[in-house]
Amino acid sequence: MDVDFALIGHQESWRAAADVLAVLRGRERTPLPDDEIRDILPWIPPRAVCHVEVGSIVSSKSVGAKACGLYIDSFIPPDRLEAAYVHENIARVRAAAACAIKAGAKIVSLGGFSSILIEGNFDQLPERKDKDTVFTTGNTLTVAFIVQGIKKMCEMEGRNLHRSTLLIVGATGDVGSGCARCLAPLVRRVLLSARNVERLRRLAAEFEADGVQVEVATDLLENGGQQFSAEADVVICAASLASPSLLLGRVAPDAIVCDAGYPKNLSPSAQMPGAKIFFGGLGQVTGGLRFTPDFHGILNRHPFPDVVHGCLLEGMALALEGRFEPFSQGRGFITPERVKEMETIAARHGIYLAPLYNSEGQVEHGFHCQKEWPSAGTPPSEAWTGYPPASGVP
Amino acid sequence: METLIGLNCSAAECTSLSPSAPIWQDVLAQAMTGELIAAMNYTSLSEICADPEEVADALEHAAIERGHAARFAAEGRKIGVDVDNNVEAKHWKRLREAFLRCIAERDFIGCLIVQEIMLESFAVASYARVGKVAPGSLGKTFAAIAAEEEEHVDHAMAILRAERALDAQRFDEKVYGLHLEVMTTLAKMLAKECKDGHCEVCHASCMKPSLFDVSLSAAELRGASLQQYLKTLDMLGIPGEVTLAWVSQLPV
Repeated sequence: MDVDFALIGHQESWRAAADVLAVLRGRERTPLPDDEIRDILPWIPPRAVCHVEVGSIVSSKSVGAKACGLYIDSFIPPDRLEAAYVHENIARVRAAAACAIKAGAKIVSLGGFSSILIEGNFDQLPERKDKDTVFTTGNTLTVAFIVQGIKKMCEMEGRNLHRSTLLIVGATGDVGSGCARCLAPLVRRVLLSARNVERLRRLAAEFEADGVQVEVATDLLENGGQQFSAEADVVICAASLASPSLLLGRVAPDAIVCDAGYPKNLSPSAQMPGAKIFFGGLGQVTGGLRFTPDFHGILNRHPFPDVVHGCLLEGMALALEGRFEPFSQGRGFITPERVKEMETIAARHGIYLAPLYNSEGQVEHGFHCQKEWPSAGTPPSEAWTGYPPASGVP
Repeated sequence: METLIGLNCSAAECTSLSPSAPIWQDVLAQAMTGELIAAMNYTSLSEICADPEEVADALEHAAIERGHAARFAAEGRKIGVDVDNNVEAKHWKRLREAFLRCIAERDFIGCLIVQEIMLESFAVASYARVGKVAPGSLGKTFAAIAAEEEEHVDHAMAILRAERALDAQRFDEKVYGLHLEVMTTLAKMLAKECKDGHCEVCHASCMKPSLFDVSLSAAELRGASLQQYLKTLDMLGIPGEVTLAWVSQLPV
């Protein structure tokens, strides 16, 4: 079988890992107890978990009606995502990448921490014979969906983006800087926050040269931090916050907040009662998405059907387009032009911004959202209630 | 690292034992039993080999495995314990019976899959873990034997890969059939608790809960063994998603 694409990912919670193993174990067998899963999972070598088939809404001689691929799990244990395990995790991503190369995947998307770990170090990926497997972080499509989500939320809330103060947390990362480049020309003022002061200054200088009003801070908590971000009414958390309460009282009370970090950890009611929080960077496949074995709602744990992280969708979109090229590589190269190009490719195949939601459920109305999040044992027909109405499709 | 009795005395002559000696005694007993089963398996294998070179190879392997068993017994004496073995113990007996069924069918490939892919994965991984934590010559012996076992896995891999190249589907079905029988038994042996009663190898109560006292754990030995097994199956070329499902279905 031709492997058009491979998606490299990992489970972000023990519950998700348990659900994956429950599917593999079969519904007729007793699920593994939690303590056994915690004991076993760290020993599983990175490997393919299932076959993935993605459909396009168009079919012609130049582009495919569908693309076939593999989901490869690096089996990074959910409690080992911190910096202390970085070398171990890079080794796992490398081994997962080797699986993709061995399978003959033409393009590989790096999901979740996989791209963060390799972002600035593509030379850490395994040697490829003839270079016929290419890698993309998928960050360009992630940026596209974050930006689309911000625009959509502003529209829904009746906000004028041009009068907004935009705060980007994790601004110097690949996704953060890409969002900044796309949105800076559209807002009144830009606030950039990141840990690396040199990179922050370089990014700010880039915007200042274009006449953008920009300020920087390395720590939202540092002296004057509250004043720095108090006016921020549009916020993108491009890095997962060490503590979600970090934003509490430090941004405008009714701010639109896009949780684009990984894992997503912002919750509207507990942390920012007045804020309009949504999970960003997610897209939805409308041409059909199939997992074999059936991992629907397990590998893509979202309250809407066929919703997938933008980073993974980028590989699928490029495969459908027949463009097997390393579209997103390195850090800081995402431009508004590249974002536009990528969202055009995705849209051509029916991959659009997903309905907006947060940890409490749907944010925008008019979509059918399941009441509870899926878990193993929920038949897909009950878990998913159908596609959004036509208004959800650009 | 704790000091063990390292005298050249027989077990009977030793009067004081390290507190961990009874744990190592059971670890050695399991290893020694496994080596004797392997020696018996290779001897049986020699009886169905047509090629004189293969006969000689199998007998040589049998001798090597007996040598490993003797080295484990010697390590026991160094720490002042007698290392028993029990090839009739329930789990080991079941593993031997699975191998003998392949012999009865004159199934050379099946024999290699059971011994070299399944039993040796378990041996290589668990000996290597023990080798890292066991003190002195005991640790060195486990590590050295793990390395030797790994070497002769390579020899079988070439034969098995060639066999799979002839008919991958048939080969994978054969491995799965043997996996269900052999790996289910091994998984029960490697479970964190012996749910089917005493294993009939440990000299007193089950040694698994005591492994923490020597910086080991049953979960770690199981994890390392299953990881080695998956990696060995990868080397054979069996798809990773297939073998992951096989392993996920094993008892815990």
